[in-house]
Amino acid sequence: MRELIEEILGRAQARGAHFADMRVTEGEGTSVTVEDGKADRVRSTAPSGAGLRVLVDGAWGFAPTNLVTRDELMRCLDDALAMAKAASGHVTEPGAVAKVEPVVATVASEARIDPRGVPLADRVQHIFEIEQVARERDERIVNTTASYSDAAGRTIIANSFGTFIEQEATRCSVRIMATAQSGDVRQFASESEAGPRGYEIIEELDAEGWAGGTADRALALLDAAPAPAGTFDVIIDPRVCGLLVHEAFGHNAEADAVWAGESILAGHEGQVVCSELVTIVDDPGIENANGSFTYDHEGVPGRRQEIIRDGVLLGYLHSLETAARLGAEPNGRARAQSHQDEPLVRMSNTFIEAGDATLEEMIADTQRGLLLKGGYWGYVFTARGQFTCNVENAWAIENGKLGRHYRNASFAGLTMEMLSRVDAVGNELSFDLGGMCGKGGQAMHVDAGGPFLRIRDVVVGGQQQAGG
Amino acid sequence: MSELLDLAQAAVEAARAAGADWCDAYCSDTTEISVDVEKSSINYCATIRDQGLSVRAFTAGGQGFASVQQLSLESARECAQRAVAMSQAAHPDPDFVALPEPAAFDEVPELFDDALAGLGADEFVGWCARGIEEARAVADDAIVQGGAGAGWGESALAGSTGVAVTRRGSSASLYFFVIINRDGDVGSFYEHDQARRLADLEVEGIATRAAEEALRQLGSKPIPTKRLPIILGPLATISLIGSIIGAADAESVQRNRSYLAGREGERIAAELLTVREAPHVPAGMRSAPCDGEGVPTCARALIDAGVLTTYLHNSYTAFKAGVAPTGHASRSGYGSSVGIGPSNLQIQPGAQTEAELIGELTEGLYIAHAGLSPNPITGEVSTTADFGFRIERGELTTPLSTTLIGSTADELLGGIDAVSSDYREEPGFIMPSLRIASVQVASEG
Repeated sequence: MRELIEEILGRAQARGAHFADMRVTEGEGTSVTVEDGKADRVRSTAPSGAGLRVLVDGAWGFAPTNLVTRDELMRCLDDALAMAKAASGHVTEPGAVAKVEPVVATVASEARIDPRGVPLADRVQHIFEIEQVARERDERIVNTTASYSDAAGRTIIANSFGTFIEQEATRCSVRIMATAQSGDVRQFASESEAGPRGYEIIEELDAEGWAGGTADRALALLDAAPAPAGTFDVIIDPRVCGLLVHEAFGHNAEADAVWAGESILAGHEGQVVCSELVTIVDDPGIENANGSFTYDHEGVPGRRQEIIRDGVLLGYLHSLETAARLGAEPNGRARAQSHQDEPLVRMSNTFIEAGDATLEEMIADTQRGLLLKGGYWGYVFTARGQFTCNVENAWAIENGKLGRHYRNASFAGLTMEMLSRVDAVGNELSFDLGGMCGKGGQAMHVDAGGPFLRIRDVVVGGQQQAGG
Repeated sequence: MSELLDLAQAAVEAARAAGADWCDAYCSDTTEISVDVEKSSINYCATIRDQGLSVRAFTAGGQGFASVQQLSLESARECAQRAVAMSQAAHPDPDFVALPEPAAFDEVPELFDDALAGLGADEFVGWCARGIEEARAVADDAIVQGGAGAGWGESALAGSTGVAVTRRGSSASLYFFVIINRDGDVGSFYEHDQARRLADLEVEGIATRAAEEALRQLGSKPIPTKRLPIILGPLATISLIGSIIGAADAESVQRNRSYLAGREGERIAAELLTVREAPHVPAGMRSAPCDGEGVPTCARALIDAGVLTTYLHNSYTAFKAGVAPTGHASRSGYGSSVGIGPSNLQIQPGAQTEAELIGELTEGLYIAHAGLSPNPITGEVSTTADFGFRIERGELTTPLSTTLIGSTADELLGGIDAVSSDYREEPGFIMPSLRIASVQVASEG
C-alpha cells in the first residue's frame, strides 16, 4: 500500500501539483440502542476508502473513493487534478501549505480493552443493564434510551513532503437519555461518556450513579419553573463553561475563520481582548479527553496552543494552509470526518484555566443572578461574534443565596464583551462536554471544559418576564 | 439501474439464507461535484463518487443493520450476513409485525435531469464567480463565502416481501453568505436556491440579495425585554413548521419522547394554519412516488385548520399502532437505517401580504432566519433571533442584536394570527410568512 500511495503522490507532483496528500481508512464499528427495555437495534458499519487532495496553481482539488485499488486511485488523481484546474482560473487568494518536516510514524491504539474482543451479546447486555437503571428509577420516567457505539480502525496519512503515518485508533461512547413526564410537562436529561479509548469506558462506568443520576435530573426538571427573561449576573458550571469556550470563543480561534474575515479575533494578536482572569487553551494531548489525538489528518503533531493568556490573544488553531497564509507555525488542528471529507481546522479539547475562587464565594457575592448548570447546545456567528448557549438548569440567586429552580434557559451575547465581564474564575477545572462538533457539514470529536465562572450583566432568554 | 436492483436482491437472498425472518436491502451509486468560495475566492473543488449498500434484517422482531461502502456481490453477501448476526444479537421485539408488501405507484416526473447530471465543475465555478461579482457590485467591501454544486445518482431497494424499487434523482444548489464589516459593525446574511432541474435553479441574483440584506443588517441594536408580536419570514416559518411536523414522527410519539404524544386529531395550532404534504409535485425537492420502504406516498393535509390530522408512520410504527403505513419511511442513504420524515411541505397562504402584516404592527419583531424550532421532547423554545429587525409603527427599522426568544410550541402555534398571502417557493415547497400575537423577548435594551 505504501508504494502505491507514494506513486500516486509522486504522479500528482509530476502533473503539476505543488502539494498532494492522501488518507486511507479501513475500520469497523458496532452500535447498540436499548430503548424502554429492549435492545431492538444493533448495527454494524465497515467504513473504508481513500481521499486524495492536490494543490495546483493555488487551487485545491479533492476526490475520494470507497474502493482502494490502483485503478480507482488513478481515477481519483485524474479527478482531483481536473477539479483543481477548474477552480484555478478564479483564484484571487491562492491556497498554500506551510512546509513541515516529514513525519514517519506508527501510532498504536490507546485502547486497553479492544471492543471487538468483547462478545456482542455481552455488549448488548451491558447497555441493557445501564438503561435498566434509569428506566426503573421512578414511574414518571416514560422513556429511556441508552446508545452505545464503538469504532476501531487504521488511517494512513501521507503527503508529498514525505510524511507517512499509520495511525490505529479505537473509540467507544455511551449515552443515556431519560424522559420524565408529569401531567402535560415532559422533560429530559442526557449524559454521555466518550473518548479515544476502548471498552474500559463502559466497564468503568458506575451505572447506578451515572444512569440513575441522569434520570434524577430529568425528574427534577418536572418541578422546575420556566426560566425568566432579562439581564442577570450569571455563574456558569464547568459544562456550560465548556459550551461557552467552545461555541462562543473557540470557533473564532480557528484560523480558517480568522483568515476568511469571519472571526472577531482577527487583527487583535498580542492585544488584551477580554478579562485578565481568562486564559484559554486548546490541547489535543489531554489523556482520555474526547478531542485528543496524536497527529491530525495532515500528519502534523497536535500541539498544546494557548489562545489567550491572562486576557491577551496569543495565537490560533492552524491547518497547513492557514499556517502558511497567516505566517504561523502549524499546530496540528486539521481533521476530517471521513475519507470522503477534506480536513478542516477543528478544535480539540478547549478549556478555560482554573482561577482561585470557590463556587460558594461566587454565590455569596452575587446579589441578583442565576446559577446555570448543564449545557444542552450552542452556536455562534463568528463574523458578528454573537453566540447563543442553551442550558438545562438555572437557579435564582438572591442576596447571595440559591433560590428557585428553573429549566431551559438560553443566554446570548457578543463573545468578547461577555468574556470581558468575567469577574470570578473557579478553582477547579473539569472536562465534561465530550461530544461532536459540527462544521462545514462534518462532525468531529471534541471536548471542552473549564471551572465555574461568574459573568456580569448577561442577557437570559426565558418564557416569562423576570419577576413574573 | 437493474444492476443495483440485482445486487439489492442478492443481499436479500443472502440475508434470508442466513436466517433473517424479514429483511430489505438498499444500495446507491451517486456522484457529487462541489465548489467552495472562501474570502471571495474560488479555492476548492471536489468530486465524490459514493457507492454503498446496507441491509436491514429482523429476527424475532429485533433489528440488525449493516452497511458497506462497496458495490459487489461478495460485499453484499457479507453485509447481509453481518446484518443477520446483528439482528440475532438484538432482543426480540414483539411490536415488530412485518415489512410492507409490494404496492403499485405512478412515477413522479422530472426527479432526474440529464442536463444537470451532465454538468462539469466549470459550470459551478462560473456560478460562484458570478455570485462574487454580484455581491461586490452591491458593496465592494463584501466578503463572500459560499458554494455551488450538484449531485445525481441511482438507488435500488429490495425487500423480502417482494418490494423492488429503483430510483434516479438529481439536484443542484448554490448559496452565498455575505459579510460586511465596517469598523467592527458587522452585517451578514445568507441566501440560497436549490432545484432538481437545472432550468429551475435561480443562479443570478442570489448573491445580490445576500449582499443587500447584509448591508441592511449593519447597525444592529438590542431592544427592550418585553412581550411582543413577531413575524416569521418564509425561511423562519418553514424552519418552525418543519420541526413541528418532525415532532409528529410516530416513533417518537409511541416511545413517549415527543411533545405531540396524545395530540393526534387535536388542535395544535390556530385555525389559520393548514400544512399540506405534496409528495407528487414534478421536480419537487422531496418528491417521491414511494417512501424508503416502497410504500406509496400520498398528498394530504398534515395540519388541517390547526388540527394535527396524523402522525407520520413507517411500517414498524404503523403496524404497531394498527394503522396503515402513511408512506413516511425515510432513508438518507445507504449508511443509515430507516427513519421517518415528510416530503414537500406547503403552508396554505392567507389573505394579506407580508408587508400588510408588518404595517398593522405598532411594535414587534421581524425574523428572517431563526432556529425557533421547539425542543422535540419538551416543546419548549429558547433561542436567538439572529437575522431580524425591530418593527416600529408598521415598518422594519433597526436590525436586532442579542435578542432571545422564549416560548413553547403551543404558544407559537396557538398564537398565529395571520398567514401572509405572498410566499417563497422552492420546488415542492410553499413558504408564506407567519405572524404570532405575543412572545417573550429578552434583550439588553
